[in-house]
Amino acid sequence: MNDLLTRLRHRFQPGTIELEVDEELRHHFDLLLREYMQKGMSHEEAFAATLKRFGNFNRFKNECVTICRRTRPLQRAFKIFLILLALTGLIVRALNTDFHVARIGDMLIMVAVACRLLLYVRSLSPSRFLPKNKTSSFSIFS
Amino acid sequence: MAKARTDLMQGTLELLILKTLARESLHGYGIVQRIHETAEDLLKVEDGSLYPALYRMQERGWIKSEWGVSENNRRARFYKLTRAGQKQLERERANWERVSKAISRILQTT
Repeated sequence: MNDLLTRLRHRFQPGTIELEVDEELRHHFDLLLREYMQKGMSHEEAFAATLKRFGNFNRFKNECVTICRRTRPLQRAFKIFLILLALTGLIVRALNTDFHVARIGDMLIMVAVACRLLLYVRSLSPSRFLPKNKTSSFSIFS
Repeated sequence: MAKARTDLMQGTLELLILKTLARESLHGYGIVQRIHETAEDLLKVEDGSLYPALYRMQERGWIKSEWGVSENNRRARFYKLTRAGQKQLERERANWERVSKAISRILQTT
């Protein structure tokens, strides 16, 4: 049930994936920072050690966001449907010499291509158009 | 004597995560801590690399996650093993034993 709610939330609020991944990684980063500070390091030393041990924050975050996006089952099914639609259009176009039937083939191809383009535009994260420090509280990683 | 830390072989991280989660559900930091404790700091795991692995494993249905509250009273995602994950753990463990046995045999030959 929780899983379903999460998927629905992601479906209707595309930015939430990025925020949730950011929150999860940031939680880990903060715990590491605290661990080093408890060992007696200064904040600067602990921060440097945390950065070294965690690795490239933004790279890992982007990888996670990409994996999350491709796992949406509805979107995956829709992409397969679009491929089938385009293939049907091509077959109709190739096998029929009748002008009107060939136009239907063209229409199917155009609809498939247009929907795929729309999907691509939707998949672009809104945060790409924002200043980088708006997406993560770690401006140092930007 | 200083301990030499070894980089993990490709694909080994997933086995370690599966084994760690077989005992209890944990958040990402907890998983890394448990791996470091158990391996007595002999293995070098870049902490951030855990997350893409966790997300891929979730995609494959080996683990599932839900948000909870961590020990520092913050929201954290906790991961736990699924039944498919338990089966995968057995497969990976068997595979690892086979590979390590084969490598040992090769190393023992003169």
